[in-house]
Amino acid sequence: MLIKHRIKTAYRGLVTNKSRSLLTILGIVIGITAIIIVMSIGQGAQDLILGQIEGLGATTISIDPGKQPQGPSNFAEVYTDSLKPKDIEALRRPANVQGLKDISPMVIQPASILFENETERATVVGSTEVFMDILALSPEQGSFFTDDDVKQKARVVILGTKVKENLFGLSDAVGKTIRIKEQSFRIIGVFPPSGASIFSVDEMVVAPYTTVQQYLTGTIHFNSIMVRAENEKVVNRVVHDIEATLRESHGITDPTNDDFHVSTPEDAAAIVGTITTVLTALLGSVAGISLVVGGIGIMNIMLVSVTERTREIGLRKALGATEEDILYQFLFESVMLTGLGGVIGIILGAGISYAAAVVLSSTVAEGWTFAFPISAAVLGLGVSAVIGLAFGIYPAKRAAAKSPMEALRYE
Amino acid sequence: MSLVEVKNLRKTYDNEGTMTPVLHGLNFKIEPGEFVAVMGPSGSGKSTLLQILGFLDSHSEGDYIFDGRAVAGYSKKEVAYIRNQKLGFIFQAFNLLPRTSVLQNVKLPLVYSDVPEREWETRARKAIEAVGLSHRLDHEPAQLSGGEKQRVAIARALVNEPSIIFADEPTGNLDSKSGRAVMEIIQKLNEEGHTVLLITHETSTAEYARRIIKIKDGLIESDVQVVNRRNASEHYSK
Repeated sequence: MLIKHRIKTAYRGLVTNKSRSLLTILGIVIGITAIIIVMSIGQGAQDLILGQIEGLGATTISIDPGKQPQGPSNFAEVYTDSLKPKDIEALRRPANVQGLKDISPMVIQPASILFENETERATVVGSTEVFMDILALSPEQGSFFTDDDVKQKARVVILGTKVKENLFGLSDAVGKTIRIKEQSFRIIGVFPPSGASIFSVDEMVVAPYTTVQQYLTGTIHFNSIMVRAENEKVVNRVVHDIEATLRESHGITDPTNDDFHVSTPEDAAAIVGTITTVLTALLGSVAGISLVVGGIGIMNIMLVSVTERTREIGLRKALGATEEDILYQFLFESVMLTGLGGVIGIILGAGISYAAAVVLSSTVAEGWTFAFPISAAVLGLGVSAVIGLAFGIYPAKRAAAKSPMEALRYE
Repeated sequence: MSLVEVKNLRKTYDNEGTMTPVLHGLNFKIEPGEFVAVMGPSGSGKSTLLQILGFLDSHSEGDYIFDGRAVAGYSKKEVAYIRNQKLGFIFQAFNLLPRTSVLQNVKLPLVYSDVPEREWETRARKAIEAVGLSHRLDHEPAQLSGGEKQRVAIARALVNEPSIIFADEPTGNLDSKSGRAVMEIIQKLNEEGHTVLLITHETSTAEYARRIIKIKDGLIESDVQVVNRRNASEHYSK
């Protein structure tokens, strides 16, 4: 019997029992749909975050205190005070670091912001114009502070959109004075909403870093230093020079004792990639459990079907079907069932992910794009076919082993 | 050369250690073109005999020589091939595939044969025409009467042009009028040269055959040519 006719026979078997066939594949449809959604949304989130990181430009280098975090316990090191003004001076010297274009420190201090009777918790970020330029941030009302403001430790601030809304509502904020830690600060600008960006300043108050150090933290160390290289080609050398300069400045000989770490957007992208891949795999394997359940459902129904069609099997054998013919008929039936389930699941999953992308991009995550990884479709189809084979082989063997006589006698 | 020859054929069922002897040593031959009825009361072993002769079951002792070759030496694949190419079955319960058209039901044996697909349609239509059901091609079994269902089964048995047709109580589930119509077709097939082996417990049905083998308690009681042969077509004309 030709393979073509085996497939046709299996197909007819399924069509003859349409409603049962459709119910049977429900488990597979749900499983594959879930996997496709997880993979598609995972990819979408990754694309979004990577896009934002890449938006920084490939020449942006950040220096953070503490050694490269290797695990949760290392994260405490970001609070070390290893980055000091003298480091900035050392890094600025062309003899130490060649190809450096800009350098800007950052200071972070959570604080209560007061305006008249309203209080708002926010993060006060001290930085420079360069820093805001790197993040492509500019106020929608008022203006940004200048280098002079930084030098003179001017008590001026720019509010993130949420801070502004909570303190001022719809009324104008620019020109008003707020109080932080018993000190007055004049509002010179308000940022536009930054949406779902990982660099959101919505809940922040930005001021010159010198001002924040002088009036709020009372310290001289930095929480981060942002550096821009002149062009992409020199990035690696700049990173190397920064490391050498800081080690000399901090008196470190063994790199494993570093009290700082230098990273590029490429490094950040790699970390994001790892995180989303792990998350996708984790969620995907949860969805995978539903596929196993679906597969057992298929086996269950196929076993019922074999018993129910005992007469048919006997008849086919009496008319000349070999054991192999019967085995393949039932095996193809289950593989076609799961394959169909896979296709429906892929279409359904892609549809739902697309709808989710439309909703996300118009609400919380501006810039979210629909991503449909081909690997997800291939995986979905492959997995469902394998499930059809794995859970179909046992019922098919049972069918093939039936004796034609017993089968015909069966009532 | 005989088409079917059995020598001292015995069958004992082994039901979880309990041995039940059914056939106690049968001897007979069937020549090509014969129309033999095997008769006997229920429990006589006639169905067991049909299953053995039809390659659906194996015998315990003795020899079954089909088409000049001892059956004991056939492999599973050869058995399937013989069932497909050399044997045609007509069952008491029709055994048509439900929700499947008459045409598809008749094509079923062709699917398992090496007949090229382009010939299937012609062959199936020819077989259906031979049983007078050309107007029912696209009907499903549920839409047919019992007599029509059995005629579809006959067409299916014919479609591979077998050497011998086995009919197991073909009129058992039919009223007498449909039963006669079915027997008329079977008789006509024999007249056209087909070898037929009919199993029945009714003398009236057996008398359509040319020869009757009576079985009782697993042994042949008598094996005689029919003298007053019934003729279905004559019966109608009366």
